[in-house]
Amino acid sequence: MADGPDEVERAFRAEAGRALATVARLVGDLDQAEDAVQEAYLIAVERWPRTGIPDRPGAWITTVARNRALDRLRRESRRGERERAAALEAVAATPPILHPVDDDRLQLLFTCCHPALAPEVRVPLALRFVCGLRVAEVARLMLEGEAAVSKRLQRAKAKIRTAAIPLRMPGPALLSERVPGVLECVYLLFTEGYASTTGDRLIREDLCDEAVRLARLLVGLRPDDPGAAALLALLLLQDSRRGARLDGEARIVLLADQDRRCWDRSAIDEGMRHLERAASAGTMTAAAAAYVLQAAIAAEHARAATWESTDWRAIVSHYDELAGVSPSPVVLVNRAVALSFADGPAAALPLLERLALDPRLGGSHLVPAALAELHQRLGQHDRAVHHCRRALERAATAPERELLRRRLAELAAAAAR
Amino acid sequence: MRYLVLLYGDETVSPAEGTPEWDADLARYMAFDELAGEAIVAGEALQGNASCRTIRHDGAAVRVTAGPFAETVEGLGGFYVLDAPTLDDMIELVCHIPAVNDGGIEVRPMVEWVDRGPRPPADGEARYFATIHGAETAAEEPGSPGWEAGAAEHGRFGKEAGEAMRAGGAVHPTTTASTVRVRDGEVLVSDGPYAESMEVVGGFYVLQGEPAAVADLAGRIPVPERGAVELRPIMELGG
Repeated sequence: MADGPDEVERAFRAEAGRALATVARLVGDLDQAEDAVQEAYLIAVERWPRTGIPDRPGAWITTVARNRALDRLRRESRRGERERAAALEAVAATPPILHPVDDDRLQLLFTCCHPALAPEVRVPLALRFVCGLRVAEVARLMLEGEAAVSKRLQRAKAKIRTAAIPLRMPGPALLSERVPGVLECVYLLFTEGYASTTGDRLIREDLCDEAVRLARLLVGLRPDDPGAAALLALLLLQDSRRGARLDGEARIVLLADQDRRCWDRSAIDEGMRHLERAASAGTMTAAAAAYVLQAAIAAEHARAATWESTDWRAIVSHYDELAGVSPSPVVLVNRAVALSFADGPAAALPLLERLALDPRLGGSHLVPAALAELHQRLGQHDRAVHHCRRALERAATAPERELLRRRLAELAAAAAR
Repeated sequence: MRYLVLLYGDETVSPAEGTPEWDADLARYMAFDELAGEAIVAGEALQGNASCRTIRHDGAAVRVTAGPFAETVEGLGGFYVLDAPTLDDMIELVCHIPAVNDGGIEVRPMVEWVDRGPRPPADGEARYFATIHGAETAAEEPGSPGWEAGAAEHGRFGKEAGEAMRAGGAVHPTTTASTVRVRDGEVLVSDGPYAESMEVVGGFYVLQGEPAAVADLAGRIPVPERGAVELRPIMELGG
């Protein structure tokens, strides 16, 4: 049974990410792990089309990469003799058939989020070593050039190696201080997959799955941490709408128009359970509270059987609290939009007009898009068209622009009537 | 793994010698020494900015100025060379150094450490901590041809300095530096040196001799182009 190059590529990619973290633990070095998995890839490309894809490709990749790393350690002279002998012994002592272990990715996530690394390199590092994306894919997701991302990753790896940042989570004395940074990174991984509407759809969905899985592992690691539980709740509740967010032609479907039967009920139930647990915690940090409130907002949507039955008053009050713990202009824009459904568009209009002057939102399409909608609902078509055009000038992604063009067409059709 | 640990802080707020606060500080450092035990390879308290001299190079010209390399109220209050398996072990350790609570502690992985051990001081001799400053270049990357050339220069300097050079170390580039602070009981770790204006580039020496002889010797420490050496007297705490 022969497999085509596409199947081989897909099967390898599906498992390579998990294998990379395990190989990194075994060889104790990120560069060596990358090289070893790359060597395993070259062997797979040559062999799998003839022999068929192995039953457990993950175990195959991990084992072959481990053996390649072992060969390399035997040959190499870059490391000091003592260090080389120790590494060799550690790698050789592992069993002959290896399976990628989930725990390895969680351990490596702590490395990628280490506070001694520059904040802006943590997400790309996690995308590369925890999620196993290729550098080109990381660059595409981050909307940056491959060379620039590659350089940043190289520098971070050099620091990890030279300063001896361990490839595992810290001991109990430092663990609780590290968890918030790790939660934030998982949140960013998720939004990278969920909110970014560019790039390869498959990668983005994988990324959402991966973030949910990591959040689940973190809840397992820190069962009493309200931040971890709230983050998992938030991701599950957001992700429950995945099947309804885009139509057959990958166009954005607004919440109001989504087919709620397509929402993932089991994800919603699980999210609600975690939210309840998180919200019942006595004290929590501002960051944890922000996850709880965002999850509570997502929960209000999940709870509403229809758009019309949404409890907007509850959502506005969650946004009020959220603005208190995480003051960001984007929260205020969302609050104003929620208020427009609770109290009518006229009540929200002055709020948005004030936000339009906020320099932090200067380049964003958010405020003009929201203003366009309010004016449309108020029957003020000329103003709606004006704001919609401004939003269109600023929108960064193709699906957002497509959505705004649809709104413009709607406005034109209404004006013609 | 050896790390150079630099203790920075605002000396204008630190207690004066002889006060009860000074004694309390000293007791806290002794408690750290006990806690860290064998992890301590070396370590000294340093005198304040007023006792510093800086030897600046500009082409062939060498100029000695009073005061530290960077004109700030903050300064280097002490240093350790500590041994720990990983950066996390090091962070746990340095959190117990009193300076972490008001100033900050810079942790630099070391390439090399040479220790010739103590020598009883002759009359008029003092010990100094000499740190190298200046623009970091590609030559600061261990293993590069520039680094090898620099290492050879430092080897020659070590021979030339003879008994006056008691110890010396080479550190990795500042891109591998981390800084640790503790505020309100929370450990804050960040990427990079404590302050770019004060960062040590390449390495440091412990020199011993008469002040004029040490200043002369410090002027011969290999430095980057337009670089400088900050010469800070070691505080002899006795015992």
